[in-house]
Amino acid sequence: MREVAVAGVGMHPWGKFPDKSVTQLSREAVEAALADAGVAWPEIQAVSAASSRFSGGKGWGLNGNDIVEEMGSTGVPVYNLSAGCAAGGNALNIGYTLVASGLYDKVLVVGAEKMPKGFIQTSGVEEETDLEYLRQLSVGMPGPAFWGMLCRRRMEEHGTTEKQLAQIAVKSHKISIHNENARFRKEFTLEDVLNSAMVSYPLRLFEICPVSDGAAAVVLCSADEAKKLTTKPVWVASSTVATSRHDDGIPKGLATITPPGGTHHSEASVAVKRAFEESGAGPADIDLVELQDNTVYYELAFPEEWGLCEAGEAESLVESGETMPTGRLPINPSGGFLSFGEATTAMGVFQVCELAWQLRGEASARQVPDAKVGLGQTLGLGGNGTAVMLKR
Amino acid sequence: MTTTNGVPVAEGLFTETADGPRLTGSRCATCGTPSFPKAAVCHSPGCTESKIEDAQFGPHGTLWSYSVQYYPPPPPAKYDEPYEPYALALIDMPEGLRVMARVSTDDPESVKVGVDVELVLEKLYTNPEGEEVITWKFREV
Repeated sequence: MREVAVAGVGMHPWGKFPDKSVTQLSREAVEAALADAGVAWPEIQAVSAASSRFSGGKGWGLNGNDIVEEMGSTGVPVYNLSAGCAAGGNALNIGYTLVASGLYDKVLVVGAEKMPKGFIQTSGVEEETDLEYLRQLSVGMPGPAFWGMLCRRRMEEHGTTEKQLAQIAVKSHKISIHNENARFRKEFTLEDVLNSAMVSYPLRLFEICPVSDGAAAVVLCSADEAKKLTTKPVWVASSTVATSRHDDGIPKGLATITPPGGTHHSEASVAVKRAFEESGAGPADIDLVELQDNTVYYELAFPEEWGLCEAGEAESLVESGETMPTGRLPINPSGGFLSFGEATTAMGVFQVCELAWQLRGEASARQVPDAKVGLGQTLGLGGNGTAVMLKR
Repeated sequence: MTTTNGVPVAEGLFTETADGPRLTGSRCATCGTPSFPKAAVCHSPGCTESKIEDAQFGPHGTLWSYSVQYYPPPPPAKYDEPYEPYALALIDMPEGLRVMARVSTDDPESVKVGVDVELVLEKLYTNPEGEEVITWKFREV
């Protein structure tokens, strides 16, 4: 496998854009990534796109085809990747693989989404043989209620307090004012968060991510091309995809087996641990993490499940400010999903943009000092998980 | 299948027996892996030969964790108006299953982790025909 560089990144700000199509959001992100890379559209040899669940793509998730038609139909091969909220990470992995394999030298990865209002209707089919549909029909379990159950269990096992949960939201929004692409650029006090509406106990409104519109794009290239384009390349140290294990403690449908044999969120932890192995870098080498903080709970659970800190240590890291960009274990220095909202299938690409900016030292007031190695992670419906590591 | 009080939310998920309500699923005779709902083949990757047999689960369980949903869930979930917050939970059953379920309680905020619970079949909502739509729930013993 060849080395793969991040030649350029681009992002359309996250927010609500009723007057723009998903393809327009996508185009603006792609144009920014191409300009950042110094690459012209006709030079792109393949496109790996996240399939949107909610917008564009002719209803078939053909969002990569939409952007190719928009930019100019060069006959380029298009891969549309569907993996729930992990689709952006999945698209990145395929783009990486296409370059690493030697098939192509310059590949575009793109993820864009326009979200409908409110709780996400997870399953797109109305068939009782579809376990996601069946569990929503028979139990009624919006995403935040699912996260709430996991968070409540953590409170039981680690004594996590509601104040500690709120502190994570305070941290994310403290960073958000320094990110011009974030949707919610406003500092909140602990009281603001604790006074926000209880949505799915124990999680409050400001402790879960809303849905947003947004788009992000990345140009990947071979080492030879990177040398022509830049003197300060950022490299993809590893990119992995996994799915959840049968013995995972969290049911994907109506039930799972007990006692569980693996971790919870095995789709994520397996992807992350393989990313460590394939990069040759371990948890101790990670300078920053962009993880999927649909909820503050994940900023506690994931670092422990991946060995970035000890079990039960995450709360104290938050309390002592160690997860801030200047701390020992910077988590979501972008401001995270809490500050951006989730444009579901775009998030894995969004993370790579932030990691690249951080490793280049271009993250202004949210910069992680001297960041050399960064980790990104997504997980999505169907038990999909992805991880990516960038290094400079 | 029908219950005594209404129509099931979906077919083949639960039944009323002489000994009380049970979840209906399957178990692999080779490796013992249980499944709810019923599986067509054994889902355990370590199983050497899938031999699926019908199985019933319940009524006992322990509440592993829960949440309270304060806002109406999106479709396809349905609820009676006016909307009332409900508790939902993951229940560990001695048959080797961790099951998602509603909690049967008048006070969702009183639910506790670790308590013993038992399976009940109760109304989820009333359909436009005026029939009670029944689902499985667990209530504290």
